[in-house]
Amino acid sequence: MNAWRVLVGTVVFATAATCQAETYALIVSGLGGETQYEQRFQSQADSISAAAAKLTGAQSRVTTLKSAAATRESIRQALKTLAGKVKRDDRVMIVLVGHGSFDGEEYRFNVPGPDLNATDLGQWLDQIEAGEQLIVNGTSASGAVVDRWRREGRIVISATKSGGERTATRFPQFWLEAITSSAADINKDDIVTAAEAFDYATRRVAESFKADVSLATEHARLEGDSAAKFQVGRLGAAALSGVDAALEALLQQRIGIERDIEAVKERKATLEIDAYYDQLEAVLVRLALLQKQIDSRAAATAALPGGKS
Amino acid sequence: MIRRSLLLMLLLASTAAHSQVIDYDPRRPTELRECDDHAYRGRAAPAKECYTRILTNSSAIATRAEAAWALGDIQRANALFREAAQDTANSTQPRVRWGRLFLQAHRPADAVALFKEVLQGSPKDVHARLGLARVYAEQFEGEARRLVDELIAENSALTEAHLLAARMALEEGRYEDVDASLDRALRGVEKQKLPPLDVYAMRAVLELSRKGEARSDWLDKALVFNPHYGAVYQDLAHFEVMRRRYKEATVLLRRAVEVQPDLWEAQAELGANLLRTGDIIGARQHLTLAYSGDAFSATTVNTLRLLDRVDEFDLRSVPLTIPSLQGTGTVDVELRMRLARSEAEALRPYVQQLASDSIASLSKRYGFEPREPVTLELYPDHDDFAVRVAALPGIGLLGVTFGYLVAMDSPSGRPVGEFHWGSTLWHEMAHVFTLELTQHRVPRWLSEGISVFEEWQTGPTPGVNVTPDALVAMRDDKLLPVSELDSGFIRPQYPRQVQVSYMQAGLLCLFIEQRWGFDKLVTLLRQFTRDTSTKAAIEATFKMPAADFDKAFDAFLRKRYATLLAGSEEWQKRHEEAGNAFKNRQWNEAILAARRAIEIYPEHIGDDSAYLVLARALDKSGQRYEAIDVLRNYRRVGGWAPAALRDLANWLDATGNKDEATEVFVALNYVDPLNVDQHRLLGERLLTANRAEPALREYRVLMALSPQDPAPAGLGIARSLRQLGDKAGSRRYLLDALASAPHYKPAQELLLQTIEERKTNE
Repeated sequence: MNAWRVLVGTVVFATAATCQAETYALIVSGLGGETQYEQRFQSQADSISAAAAKLTGAQSRVTTLKSAAATRESIRQALKTLAGKVKRDDRVMIVLVGHGSFDGEEYRFNVPGPDLNATDLGQWLDQIEAGEQLIVNGTSASGAVVDRWRREGRIVISATKSGGERTATRFPQFWLEAITSSAADINKDDIVTAAEAFDYATRRVAESFKADVSLATEHARLEGDSAAKFQVGRLGAAALSGVDAALEALLQQRIGIERDIEAVKERKATLEIDAYYDQLEAVLVRLALLQKQIDSRAAATAALPGGKS
Repeated sequence: MIRRSLLLMLLLASTAAHSQVIDYDPRRPTELRECDDHAYRGRAAPAKECYTRILTNSSAIATRAEAAWALGDIQRANALFREAAQDTANSTQPRVRWGRLFLQAHRPADAVALFKEVLQGSPKDVHARLGLARVYAEQFEGEARRLVDELIAENSALTEAHLLAARMALEEGRYEDVDASLDRALRGVEKQKLPPLDVYAMRAVLELSRKGEARSDWLDKALVFNPHYGAVYQDLAHFEVMRRRYKEATVLLRRAVEVQPDLWEAQAELGANLLRTGDIIGARQHLTLAYSGDAFSATTVNTLRLLDRVDEFDLRSVPLTIPSLQGTGTVDVELRMRLARSEAEALRPYVQQLASDSIASLSKRYGFEPREPVTLELYPDHDDFAVRVAALPGIGLLGVTFGYLVAMDSPSGRPVGEFHWGSTLWHEMAHVFTLELTQHRVPRWLSEGISVFEEWQTGPTPGVNVTPDALVAMRDDKLLPVSELDSGFIRPQYPRQVQVSYMQAGLLCLFIEQRWGFDKLVTLLRQFTRDTSTKAAIEATFKMPAADFDKAFDAFLRKRYATLLAGSEEWQKRHEEAGNAFKNRQWNEAILAARRAIEIYPEHIGDDSAYLVLARALDKSGQRYEAIDVLRNYRRVGGWAPAALRDLANWLDATGNKDEATEVFVALNYVDPLNVDQHRLLGERLLTANRAEPALREYRVLMALSPQDPAPAGLGIARSLRQLGDKAGSRRYLLDALASAPHYKPAQELLLQTIEERKTNE
């Protein structure tokens, strides 16, 4: 149960932090090579982009580059623009889907025209000042970049464990599922963290290979310390928090109650078991009642002209 | 899909056949004779001194190789034989002996390669062919008998050929043939002035087989000839293992290592046998000893490695209460489940339920209550299971019963849909009863027959379903007389004869039940509570000669399968037509062809069953109610393909048959018990149907299967307990669920509801 405590606790801080900082996202889908891959990558980029808009609270904070538009130069330009506007307190999420390759020395992301290599991408990424960064490289052979792109404050997720896993990956599809449905939201707070999404996607990848009775050709990796607090998806009321001040206030109240729950759980070892459950129940009831208000307000917000659903 | 367990116990016994000690090849160097004489008489010190002298002084490399081998230095013997084999002019005999060395070093493939190499240059070399025959015999390959017969036909004075013939006849229960072969073998050893130890040992086994007693004059004679001849006990044990009498084999193997502590094969076999009876500590002790003297045995190494991981398994003991055979009251039976920790919590409820149901059913049907705890072991890694039962990975068994101990593949050990683990468990549990009721005297065919029959009659997927290869054998008159049916399991003569023999054995039991009633089957089984033969038991039970019994069985089959035997070609044609039409989305054509295929062969429930084609074609053409009926019939004859069961459950749901749909989902647990979605769905369905107790089980399993997301399972448990009236338990699970996922709305709603109710009641 300890893992849960950590997770819930970090989400509390994460939610609080969003009040001051903005989140920006860049989604890139590379060349598919074949029609089925081209369509799949574009569709994944669109869906991840839509989810990113909910997460960031504004479509303007999301840049999407797909197939023909996703050239080496346009990616360089997009990262340069991002570096220009992002501040230290902000967050940046970059997602790459498509085919990657690794020749034993250099990783390449397949895009129209000259391919992008890990060195160039790494240098451009390093220009971005944001204190919290998440790079999800969902391409084949993506494991080759993890160690090269690691930095303090940066989480790097790859679909494969190394450059040697070269088969087209399943990871992005399950990552998408994770950030757009409640399946990965283990603590049911309508917020999906990078850790939750990663756990879900890796589990589903493994299950899919098992169901096919085939050897798994990819094993995702996550490096970085703050995956449990880095938000990658917002659902339900959490997705509306940026557009309604009253709703935002209720969500702030919720953070306070979440802290109280954590405090009771911290005291569990020192309490008689009945006293522990009594205290836990009391604070959970407060949360449940507040949640009703939040849901009611979120429904009203969603129904407003210009509101989101 | 694999449905039944292949109880190839002979493979378990194969390692026990001790390696050749006596060299019957007249080309053996005379220089070794003095040393051999000491060795054959059990005079270890002079033998050692003599062989050492030869190893040091002999000018013949092959002779030194023999000396090194006799001294137990396998590596050196190998190097010397390799050197001897370089001399192309005189390498035939050393190469044959080198092959024998490989055989003793547990490398039969290398031995075969050497024997074949020799035969390329000398196609008629008797001892290379004998070497091959020995390998085949130890691996229970039908080829062995043909080769031995051929060798004897060429030279009736071949001692070792007669010994091999005797061994195979013993394994197949042809005792008169054993007598004749041993007489000839004895004449051979007397003529060659070789020790009669193998003949004495085999005679002792024959007496054991005939009289049921291990003690005999032949045993005494062998020990008088050589007081340290442990192999005589090892041979006796080998045949006890063949008959699945593991406890008796253990006693003999203990004697073997008492009289000859460095008989490493006996040490290893004793370890393996102790493992079969559940004595892990004793097994480890003897296997370690065996390894210390013989590090070449893959079976010993594999088993020791498996034992090193015993902590990965959870052993849980539960008392089961079954109705007493006395008619009133109950009796307790202890059930022990050894399950991999990673899946123990998820599997245990179903394993326990099925074991409990099978014990209750089988004890009543066969009038026998287990007298010792029944142990069930399920292995998620098939190779671990294979090592557990035969000590070699890669063997295609599903389950093995060693008496009160059953080991089998876990449902996670094979892809979903490849085998019905519930039926396998039921099959193995039937073996527990047939073996223990007869103190392991039941012949293989009857034990397998009853297990198959019980799968058909009382198992989790009842329905007589006979496979196409059995029907082909029936059509081609390839079924064996009942008194010879064991050989179909032990030494098959054509591909898939083992599987055909399972079917024939099951059908024999069905025939007995239908012709004389079930009680006669029990009467037949009880004939084997003492030592007897199949022939005598059949005659005593049915008061007819075995040959007449065979005729009556044949008539039963011809009548039962008349339509199929007459229409097998049409069935094949319609079956293919149905499949092709379905692929081409020609629903009406698929429906017509599949219906006809089912009419001809209603018991065919394999992967490509016409039922599945028919049901899907009917559904595709808008006839869902008819499709449901087809899948109901498919289940009735024993069909259990998970995809078909899911279709049936969903269609039943969609047409308002909720309860029946729930039952189908429950049945899926015995095919695919580790499916998370299945338990979530079933828990909800059962709760909705006010069946809180089974719902609770589903949610507990869900909790075990999804530790990363415990809230939904915790809520399910809370709701089930609430429905069962356990408010305190329900509250705790609910609060724990919310502690892990504070925003989980269904749990929040239940929390607020319980608070409201509490206020109302105050």
